[in-house]
Amino acid sequence: MADAAFLALAVITIGSAIAALELRSLIYGSIALMGTLGGIAGFFFLLDAPFVALFQLAVYVGSIAVLILFTVMLVKRELIFKKIEDKRRKFAGIGLMLVVMVSLGAVFLDSGIKTITTDEPATDFRDIGTDFVTYYWPALILMGLLLAGSVTGALVLAKREDVENDQRAS
Amino acid sequence: MSVIAPNFKLSEFIKSLLDNVFWIIFIVVLIGLPAIMMVLFVIEMPVIDGELLTPFLALTWIADPSRILPIVKAFMATDIFRVMAFPGFGFAALIAAGTIFIERKMLAKLQLRVGPFYCGKLEGILQLMGDGLKLISKEIIIPAKADKPIFWAAPVLFVATAAAFVAFIPVAPGWVVADVEMGLLGVFAVIGFFPIITILSAWSANSKFPFIGGIRALFQMVSFEIPLILSLLGVVMLTGSLNLSEIAASQSSFPWIVFLPVGAIVFFITMLAELERIPFDLPEAESEIVAGWLTELSGMMYGLVQLGTYLKLYAFAGLFVVLFLGGWNGPMIVPPFPAELLEKGIEMGPIVAGPFPGLPLFTQEMLNGTLWFVLKTVGVIFFILLPRGVFPRIRVDMLLNLGWTKLIGLAFINIFIALGLLYAGVLGPGGLQ
Repeated sequence: MADAAFLALAVITIGSAIAALELRSLIYGSIALMGTLGGIAGFFFLLDAPFVALFQLAVYVGSIAVLILFTVMLVKRELIFKKIEDKRRKFAGIGLMLVVMVSLGAVFLDSGIKTITTDEPATDFRDIGTDFVTYYWPALILMGLLLAGSVTGALVLAKREDVENDQRAS
Repeated sequence: MSVIAPNFKLSEFIKSLLDNVFWIIFIVVLIGLPAIMMVLFVIEMPVIDGELLTPFLALTWIADPSRILPIVKAFMATDIFRVMAFPGFGFAALIAAGTIFIERKMLAKLQLRVGPFYCGKLEGILQLMGDGLKLISKEIIIPAKADKPIFWAAPVLFVATAAAFVAFIPVAPGWVVADVEMGLLGVFAVIGFFPIITILSAWSANSKFPFIGGIRALFQMVSFEIPLILSLLGVVMLTGSLNLSEIAASQSSFPWIVFLPVGAIVFFITMLAELERIPFDLPEAESEIVAGWLTELSGMMYGLVQLGTYLKLYAFAGLFVVLFLGGWNGPMIVPPFPAELLEKGIEMGPIVAGPFPGLPLFTQEMLNGTLWFVLKTVGVIFFILLPRGVFPRIRVDMLLNLGWTKLIGLAFINIFIALGLLYAGVLGPGGLQ
């Protein structure tokens, strides 16, 4: 059962990743990208990490994919992209991809992943939270400051007085 | 005399009905019954309780309440019942349909109009059915230059996403479709899908007004998601759980709105914006951009989007009830199930019906919880509908200003209130709850 789900998710993820790269229509490409990100969320579900999976869905599919879609929709494709396509480039790209994949796979198989046992219970997200506030607290505070900075920046941008438009509401 | 169908005669209508009945009986007797008998001849019937199951016996059992009640009970315990009927789609669609009618009628009363009146004898109560039939029978027109796959898929996806949202809402103790540990996070993830579907639908119509409406919807939903999520963090901090059933159960003595009124207000306002209700109905502004992102949708596609919108409204109201108003908690007002029905049955003069041993299909707690949940949800839906009769639409810049500066600030204040309550020992371990 888990194997079938894993295979289906793998096909969805890789297939839509290829589609995201190859499709001529930018909108369909970004929809395919959403499929890839959703497939990765599915992998997290399979790994008993629903917390990460749901954040993957909420942040990547729900926000980042929306931003990409939005940007793509406001773009006139013909103005940016010139179609450069010839056989040599294509084969060079495929060859490069194969080399990268084979070397990554070799590293991966060499890393001792085969000897890992998977019987250990899934980590509770509360344990991750406890780790964050004890062992990793500097990183947490750094992240908090970063996020607070970005939220403050967004607030400042929203509050900015636009000189050209004096009809804005206070 | 109806103007729409001038040649309508009741006698002919009844005659056509009788005609249909005659032909159905005719075909069933001549073709249906022999076919069933032939099939039964081939199939080996099972032996139950030492008796061979014949069609006659099966019909007897169906008519016998003591035989059929366990089957009904077993069916009600299945996932299909939960998804399709009670806490899931059917229940939500019923409330959504009621909401549409109440909205039209209440809005009319607020504005000193009559509202739906002619369809159905009593106050136009059949108007909704008429509208539904009209939407189903209308032609679906697809714009010539639309992107057809996305255009077709968007309404269906919208309803599906709204139904997924409904699945997370617990109605009574144990009565929820998806009782997941991360219920609230699941809700956030599902809410994140609505802007995608909206903007895709708007873009695929390849028309001006839908696109403007879709861009507005995207702005509005994405920017109001942030205060929405932040305003709920206070409840999560006080409860220490993301499971919606546990959050509802934790409010047995006080609803969280008592301690976190700021969060409740922020959540309510963001809810209005996410639902595109007046005063935040910029994506569908009728007076500016025809019908916003719904302009090119016609027939049942529009009907599906409307159904999804009202399912979403129910789900948001239910979420508000679960998070802030105590969910199903309330004093027990449902009377206990009469015990003599189980032992003696109903005696009406010479006739005795029953007894019905397996009868209480729902427990008293479940009925009481559902009653309180529905009462509170209807109240919240009323307050969601109310601004439509009162407020004008606000401008885009005012909307974004409100979302990005005021609501986010208030949501942070709410988080600090929750933290203060927790650290002061008012709530949490050793506190009130």
